[in-house]
Amino acid sequence: MRNVKGFRLRLIQVCLGLLAVLLLLPMAQTFLYSFSSMTEMQAFMKTRGSYDETRWMEAHLIPNLVSLGQYHQILIADNTVLWLFINSAMYAALILLGQAAIIPPLAFALSKFRFPGRNGLFFGIILLMLLPFQVTMVPNVLTLRSLGLIDTIWAVVIPMWFAPFYIFLIRQYMVGLPGELIEAAEMDGAGAMSVYFRVILPVCRPILGAAAALSFAESWNLVEQPLTYLTTRMDLQPLSTMFNQLATENTGFEFAGAALYILPALFVYLFFQEDILSGIQLTELK
Amino acid sequence: MYTKKRLALPFLLPGLAGILLFYVVPFFGGVWYSLTDGSFENAFVGFDNYLKVWQNPMFQLGLRNTMELSAICAPSLFLLSFLLSLILNRIRPAGRLFRSTVLLPYLMPSSAVLIIWLLWFDYGGPVNHLITLLGGQRVAWLQGSELRVPVVLLFLWKNLGFCVIIFLAALQAIPASLYEYAELEGASFGRQAFSITLPLIVPSAFLVFILSFVNAFRIFKEVYFIGGAYPEEPLYTLQNYMNNMYGKLNYQNVTTAAYSFAVIVFALFGLLFFLQHRAQRGLN
Repeated sequence: MRNVKGFRLRLIQVCLGLLAVLLLLPMAQTFLYSFSSMTEMQAFMKTRGSYDETRWMEAHLIPNLVSLGQYHQILIADNTVLWLFINSAMYAALILLGQAAIIPPLAFALSKFRFPGRNGLFFGIILLMLLPFQVTMVPNVLTLRSLGLIDTIWAVVIPMWFAPFYIFLIRQYMVGLPGELIEAAEMDGAGAMSVYFRVILPVCRPILGAAAALSFAESWNLVEQPLTYLTTRMDLQPLSTMFNQLATENTGFEFAGAALYILPALFVYLFFQEDILSGIQLTELK
Repeated sequence: MYTKKRLALPFLLPGLAGILLFYVVPFFGGVWYSLTDGSFENAFVGFDNYLKVWQNPMFQLGLRNTMELSAICAPSLFLLSFLLSLILNRIRPAGRLFRSTVLLPYLMPSSAVLIIWLLWFDYGGPVNHLITLLGGQRVAWLQGSELRVPVVLLFLWKNLGFCVIIFLAALQAIPASLYEYAELEGASFGRQAFSITLPLIVPSAFLVFILSFVNAFRIFKEVYFIGGAYPEEPLYTLQNYMNNMYGKLNYQNVTTAAYSFAVIVFALFGLLFFLQHRAQRGLN
């Protein structure tokens, strides 16, 4: 395609640059504020909602005093945030481990095996993917109740192991893999299991990375499930559901808490961004 | 391609068992649930539950808000990401950095961003400041129906990147020669976008459109972050209603509300599938 050049390219770049800054600003501001002292932040946050027609919130771009006080508070003095953080990490780890064991094999079966009912099953998974959480939570609740899992961590974790979106994503990628890949391995005498582990999984690296990163983001941001399934267990809530409360209580350390909360997601993003971009590019999404 | 059925079993079984156990079987069990009264004898009451739930004003409010918010969020997400990916596709090598920037919010925990978001939309905050600088009046964003604006923007902020990436993947498969021809014919940017590009990427565009709706139905997340568990009326969504009913152990109502919603969702998606099918046949 004819690329845009010269002045118009500059103009577009400036606009996109501004948009990028706007998209990144919330994170940048969070990190910036996390180095203000707690008293300074408390005073600043107290002014929220109290402005009238004559006054503006100060931009507050530079902390009066660079301080690690907020971090000291959440990491050493008071461990509420740390516990919530550990809960979140536990959910993410358990969800991802289960998904890694269940979803890629299922995608493999759906893409490289021929068996009766295969297309029906895949169609069912697509339907499931389209259903909003409000609908799928009902069957989940019924089973979780009869298994006695409500108000345990497994109520949040287990249904996520069969998340249809990632089955769909990985299956679509595997469908695009050439059949010769398997045939060549079979010539060398490899069975289906060793084809899966030695051939399929390595070539699926981009999409597996992409799915893992996207699933981590979802697990790190769980809201509906803990709120619905863990109503009586406040001690099992993750950061995602409890963070607002922290923010409204004007504790003074909310920005360091937010920064701590953002950091793992940021690392996952930096580590997997190429996988997400190339994984989705190579997948037949239709 | 493997054809021996036995070989597929070890790969298939764990996932299949879970899907059957957690989704399919209880889904049909739930239909029975929604048709009984939940008492000790659990008598069959036909469609009584449905009539009762549909007449419930809170259900109506929740359903209406969920549909309204989705009808705002999904199309704007679709259009914004389409336009943005068109621009990115035209400045290809230069847009690389932006492409990875736009994806970042999708992985961010949005509740961590929330404090900053609320500061921006404060009555004395930067958003209002900008509005007055442009000659407008301050708006009380954090009250009443204005609260929908920060909720919708938080949704767009988060979901824009993923849709842009799917669009871009489809756009890069279009041969450049088509545009050169269109250029010779003197077609404008907008004309190219909607007469050449969009028809060629119908399948991907359709996926983005559907995913936008699926995500928009989950707008409860953003509502919860900004409005809390008991939001004001303009933000009371279906999920709020269901959580309340669930808290009251009224499983009959939860199930009934969910299945009523499922019927609406499937009718909507069925219509979209039909339209996509027709659109694609028309093009061939």
